[in-house]
Amino acid sequence: MIFSPIKVLTVATLVFLADSSFSQYTYYKPTEGFGIEVSLSNTNLKRMPMYRNSIASLAVIGDNIIGGTAADEKLAPYLFVASLNKKELIELKDLNEVVKGQRSIQSGFFKGKNNTLFAGTIANKLENGTTGSGHILQVNIGTNANISITDLGTPVRGEGVNAITGDEKANMLYGITYPSGIFFSYNIASKTFKTYKEVAPTKAQFDTLVNEYHEKPEEFLSSSLAVDNKGLVYGSRAINKVFYFNPSDESFHTVSDLPEVWGRRTLGRVDAWTKSSDGSLYGGNGGDGQLFQLDASTNNVKNLGKPIMMNRLRSMCFGANGKLYGIAGALPGYAHLFSYEPKNEGFKDLGNPQFILKAPGIEQGIEWRGFQLRTITASEDGKYIVMGEDEALSQLLIFPVGD
Amino acid sequence: MQLNYFKIFLSFVGCCFFAFQKGIGQQSITKANIAFIDYTGFPEGQSTWDDIGFSSKYNKVVVGVTNHRDKVALFDYDVASGKMTNNGLIGDLAHLRDFQWQAKIHSKIIEGNDGYMYFSTDGGESREEYFMNHPSGYAGGFFMKWHPKTKDFINLGMGMQYESIKDIDLDPQTGKLYGVSYPQVHFLVYDPAKNSMKDFGRLGSSHVPRVLFTDWWGNCYYVDWRQRLVKYEKNSDSLIFAATSLPAFEGTPGGKIVTGITAYAKDKKNNVIYLITYGAKIVALYPDKIGIGKVVDLGGVADSSSKINPWGPYVPNLNIGNNGKLYYIVGGHGNYVIENKTVLIEFDPKTRKHTIIYEYPVDELSEATGSDTKDKEGNLYFAGRRDLDKNDHSAPFLIKFNPGKKVQK
Repeated sequence: MIFSPIKVLTVATLVFLADSSFSQYTYYKPTEGFGIEVSLSNTNLKRMPMYRNSIASLAVIGDNIIGGTAADEKLAPYLFVASLNKKELIELKDLNEVVKGQRSIQSGFFKGKNNTLFAGTIANKLENGTTGSGHILQVNIGTNANISITDLGTPVRGEGVNAITGDEKANMLYGITYPSGIFFSYNIASKTFKTYKEVAPTKAQFDTLVNEYHEKPEEFLSSSLAVDNKGLVYGSRAINKVFYFNPSDESFHTVSDLPEVWGRRTLGRVDAWTKSSDGSLYGGNGGDGQLFQLDASTNNVKNLGKPIMMNRLRSMCFGANGKLYGIAGALPGYAHLFSYEPKNEGFKDLGNPQFILKAPGIEQGIEWRGFQLRTITASEDGKYIVMGEDEALSQLLIFPVGD
Repeated sequence: MQLNYFKIFLSFVGCCFFAFQKGIGQQSITKANIAFIDYTGFPEGQSTWDDIGFSSKYNKVVVGVTNHRDKVALFDYDVASGKMTNNGLIGDLAHLRDFQWQAKIHSKIIEGNDGYMYFSTDGGESREEYFMNHPSGYAGGFFMKWHPKTKDFINLGMGMQYESIKDIDLDPQTGKLYGVSYPQVHFLVYDPAKNSMKDFGRLGSSHVPRVLFTDWWGNCYYVDWRQRLVKYEKNSDSLIFAATSLPAFEGTPGGKIVTGITAYAKDKKNNVIYLITYGAKIVALYPDKIGIGKVVDLGGVADSSSKINPWGPYVPNLNIGNNGKLYYIVGGHGNYVIENKTVLIEFDPKTRKHTIIYEYPVDELSEATGSDTKDKEGNLYFAGRRDLDKNDHSAPFLIKFNPGKKVQK
């Protein structure tokens, strides 16, 4: 048998490729990770239908996972409750039954007194093409997981709610409207809104961002707000700035730049905030995907780096093990689950999670791979991390973490 | 126990009769009914992946052969002359740059009313998924078309950034293309006339079902993660979902369920589309213009055996003969009916009888792909390959088979 150099080279190449294929299917698969099927079209099971189930807001109270969804244009979102213990969807509420004309609940939840949740909505466009009015929702989950929604009204007519947070002690909510980026407060006791235009993009900034850079408001408005232990409200504003609002004197302070990749300042915005047990604020820059830490005493923003090479850092939380877990990346790539432990480990890119999903009809279990993850939160004891997908048919993915 | 000599006599006569019948069956299909035809002029060709189709207008079988890395050669086999022609590499024909490399055509090659053969491209290897916007990463798969007579080649553009297009089909009336992306399982509808791409979103789980197909009205079918049929209804421009899953053997693993359908063959005259699932079931779909249509479970792809799980055999191919019987080749990716043997099976949908026509060792035929590829003479075509070693190195060839007559290469 005679070996030609081309054949030898070809075989060597194929051997190399065959070997590399072994590394193709490595996902984050903790043994006790599991999925909950919450979306499925044309079924008698309790499920959300297609295009109305992107899990945009997420909270856990006791055994209940509470979700708020985003829908495609002209469709209405849901609020849902799934059980951690039962691993199934147990309650659904079509928001259109309570507040008509809404498209998404994407503000995130703020948990106030007595486990009352608050969220904001973005409305569908009106027939004349203008933006509808978003609402603030008060959501209470009953002992049998029934969902009670109270409409608290509209912060700014013709504007939706892009982000929301609150201060339980002060009994206040704070938010950013969409698409104009107007800051507002809501006094829960007196049921009164107050609006502020100090951190909204100026007309000149809108012209630059929308006309010159072809960006949409969701690409430069703050997607998340946070209240620190002193009651100051932190967010981002155009272009690439961190601000805080001091409720005591209703003043705004622009304190620092967001971390940036050179040339991409116009994309800078806070995608997500989370607070550690010691009160430190951690933020994620949507424009470039950096994790940063905000020192509230000095207002210094420390760039902790990028967990992956893509932009977006859509959601974060802390687990009982003290690690920060987050969702980095988004379309046109895949989301990556990552962890961050500042002392020893630093960043760890966990990639796409892939957990077993069981439900009636698929009792044997199927593997569910999380490509597009949108939200992440921890159970109240921090022992479970819950992730919500951003798909045409989105599911929940859950995994336990140690103390 | 008393012997009944009359019963013994009848049994003897019966056995002789069936043995004689079987003999006739075996004699009627011989090795002369099948031919293996080499692809010429592309020595690094390694495999073919469902990328086969027939041009009824020009009487040619069109196949894409890949080196499983970055080159795909487009071949046509002229049925009348028996000539195999290498028409060049699709990267060159489509004027792709190096950063737009394509490793496979993984889709069927489907004839349009304009005479062009339509197909899509695929990253097809490890670096596709994770390199993303790395210089060696995968840019994304394209819709393409090629004319068997004029050799005109048109790149119709990309589906989704970084995603392969695993399979396509075509609505001949509107010219719209249907596609499914890999690995995110997005269902796409592309209208070349308007350059309009509509992404209907993710339908699958962790493994991408490889096959979608159309009915006589131009509606398109796929599956969701429960192996329920999902139909794109062209009249409403929307997806509808079957209420129940396609038939599966009890105990079929979830990994088989989520991968859906591996092959199909259409019998328009009898309004039936035969399907084979990844769980080794044969299913008859009687499509309706509106709605999902009736589904009938025709059983497994092979007679039951204690040696194999019923859902185990791998059948990524299916053809229907002019005699109304189904023909498929079982084997590949480590799943066989007979250990390390690849078999060609005849299945009669009326009697539900399986007959093994041929057996091949894997170094002669290890796997075949392709759905519903038949010429006007009733010759059936499969895209085959043979193992060169145990490390997935293989050599591709075209399989031409006719259950009713001898075939010429």
